[in-house]
Amino acid sequence: MSSTLYVERASPIHRLNPVTKLVALLCLLVVVFAIPQWWASLAVLLLVIVPAAISSGVAARLARSAGQLLLPILVVLVLVQGLTYPGGRTVLWQWGPLALTTEGLMFALTIGARLVCLVLASVLLVLTTHPGDLMSALTEQGMSPKFAYIISSTLQLIPSFQARATSILLAQQARGLTVPSNPLRRLGVLMPLLGPLVLGMFTDIEERSTAMEARGFGSTARRTTLVPVRDTRAQRVARWVIPVLALAAILVSLRWIG
Amino acid sequence: MTARSTDTNRSRNLALVVLGTLIVLATYLYLVITQPTELAQSSSAPAGLIAMAGYLIGAVMLAAGSIHRLSTTTIAMAPVAIALNIVVGQLVAVLGLPVYLDSIGTVLVSALAGPAAGVVTGILTNVIWGLTLNPVPLPFAVVQVVIGLMAGYAARLGVFRTVWLPPIAGAITGVVAAMISAPISAFIFGGATGGGTGVLVGMFQAMGQSLLASTTLQGLLSDPLDKLITFTVVYLVLTALPARFKQRFPFVREYQVFGTKVPTSKA
Amino acid sequence: MIVLREVSYTYPEAADPALHGIELNLQPGSITGVVGASGAGKTTLAKVIAGFLPRVDGGELTGTVCVAGRNLAELSLVEAVGQVGLVIQNPFNQISGAKYTVREEIAFGMENLGTPRAEMAARVKQVAALLRISDLLDRSPYALSGGQMQLVAIASMLVLRTPVLVMDEPTSQLDPFGTRLVFAVLDQLQQAGTTVVIFEHKLELLQAHADRLLVLAGHTIVADGSPTEVLADERVDGWAIGSTRYTRAARLARGRGLLPVHGALPVSFEQAAATFGGAR
Repeated sequence: MSSTLYVERASPIHRLNPVTKLVALLCLLVVVFAIPQWWASLAVLLLVIVPAAISSGVAARLARSAGQLLLPILVVLVLVQGLTYPGGRTVLWQWGPLALTTEGLMFALTIGARLVCLVLASVLLVLTTHPGDLMSALTEQGMSPKFAYIISSTLQLIPSFQARATSILLAQQARGLTVPSNPLRRLGVLMPLLGPLVLGMFTDIEERSTAMEARGFGSTARRTTLVPVRDTRAQRVARWVIPVLALAAILVSLRWIG
Repeated sequence: MTARSTDTNRSRNLALVVLGTLIVLATYLYLVITQPTELAQSSSAPAGLIAMAGYLIGAVMLAAGSIHRLSTTTIAMAPVAIALNIVVGQLVAVLGLPVYLDSIGTVLVSALAGPAAGVVTGILTNVIWGLTLNPVPLPFAVVQVVIGLMAGYAARLGVFRTVWLPPIAGAITGVVAAMISAPISAFIFGGATGGGTGVLVGMFQAMGQSLLASTTLQGLLSDPLDKLITFTVVYLVLTALPARFKQRFPFVREYQVFGTKVPTSKA
Repeated sequence: MIVLREVSYTYPEAADPALHGIELNLQPGSITGVVGASGAGKTTLAKVIAGFLPRVDGGELTGTVCVAGRNLAELSLVEAVGQVGLVIQNPFNQISGAKYTVREEIAFGMENLGTPRAEMAARVKQVAALLRISDLLDRSPYALSGGQMQLVAIASMLVLRTPVLVMDEPTSQLDPFGTRLVFAVLDQLQQAGTTVVIFEHKLELLQAHADRLLVLAGHTIVADGSPTEVLADERVDGWAIGSTRYTRAARLARGRGLLPVHGALPVSFEQAAATFGGAR
């Protein structure tokens, strides 16, 4: 039970070590943000992200989640930058202060293509990586176990927080109190109800931290893990090769563009 | 652990914090001074990459240098604060209010446990947002880091001892947050972080402002108000928390964050 | 094993001490029960023995707390928790909240202390069998009932094998079967040499399993002796700790004229058997 988007499948992407996927994601983002041409993002999308999504077995889920996030951003981007881009010269259509320019549309295309890569690749990582595995793998790589604790603990806290908030709301409705439709007034009704819940959660912290200390959380010993994270020699090599390839791609393309 | 290795750790952590802060500032200054506007034609280092990499590396260094200073109580509090950020932030977004209110937890942690705790809570809020709902806030992680840092120092100066100082400190924090986040909105998102904000950016651009100036102005319209409300809400939550809980935090005791109501006897 | 001398403790921002004048000397390999009305200072005493006060909550402690001959104030918190395990009252707060399976949850403490993987796996298996939660190991800790979670919380401390174990109401969420199971496990621990301090209000079980019973009232220890002795004390009603079902049954019987008006009321099963056997 966790609140991430993770979907369990037996795909080769799921089986990869989380750190390998993270290195690939970061390199991919550097490539699309370093090369100032929209076709670089398109190439990364078609050559890397789409094949990975198809072999992950969660392509439909990815398209749905990422589409919901991207659609509003892309619409706003094309409208705002297409019509008001400060560097626009080639005017295609004009109406008052608004001018549809080729430069503006190109700018929107460049930024938009990058955002598509950013959102698709990071959502794919989350869809195919169990958060517990991600934290174990990063801790093995030297990340402080305190980070791992906070992240894992929050991921499990959010659903129970939401569930408790919903049950308070339902209880209020059952007692005949209606929730107003005006958003500001609704917030005014919600806040006093959520107050005790939040205060309760804060006072639980005292006990929780006592229990953590009792279980050696303050220890400076080198942490061990009960469940080993999957890793292979090939992936250890790949984690060095991918950044080199990314750098080469950037240098070649910048050279080629001139 | 020997005293010596604790010392090297401490200087390493300090170096990380100083370097992280410098990288964030340098990134901001570079982007403001060079004002790269015509992205597609520019052969210089691309602004989006610099905004993303500079801010992310700076934020990660700040967090890595801060985490070792946090007590177990602070570590146990961070998840509650982050969940509060995300659940309230999400609720406000769904209700369509013109503010974000996604840093109440961060400011709360800063007031109780200091700037280092605020930094960690801030960055992890956006990381977890990225893991659960939406990777779009991830590039803005540095903004939450700056909010945590500023709220922590505000608490240290005694802002939360009075009713009227928190809104002022909040508004100032909001101005800084707007400035720091403007290059991210501009160069990574092209001003299109949301419907309402996008229209504002377009309006400023149509009035002849540059992209960066437009996102800065848009931020200045919403961030100071948002942080003003946030700091005030935090002040109210803090008064509702039991004194015994607040006095658990060495930061609260050392800097008398809530004043000296009961004189603490020296053991 | 545990020696407290003239211990007083005051919480930060509090006017009056939560504990005062505590004198205590607990033998290794013993089970000590502590009872008291709510607010008498039970949780505070548990945290003092475990070394958490004043170093975690602040406040002021006077007197000395020694565990295994070492002054707790001179140990680091990590050294202290290596000596004394603490099971806190609310199992929901005892679990780390950061693990996705019960197996990993139980191993959390060992992971922190850097225990080798093979040993962790073996110890988790052993303690799960002991508390009969082996079938829960692959479940999410958040998908457990209150009672199951409490057993996991107890397992997560037992697995650390500290020489002293302090338990604050460890059976509050358990059904009678689970409660008896926990007390049976305590008997086994005692045989293995562990010193157990248990804060409980189930007097029948304390009477049957504890070597010694302490009563906390008004923030200090007001009675200390064998459970049978303490429960038969004439001041027992003033401590607001209740009485065993044997005492209650005898009192009822006496009220209906089934038992003689004079003489001590039974506090244990054996005494009740003798009393009622004599009456017939």
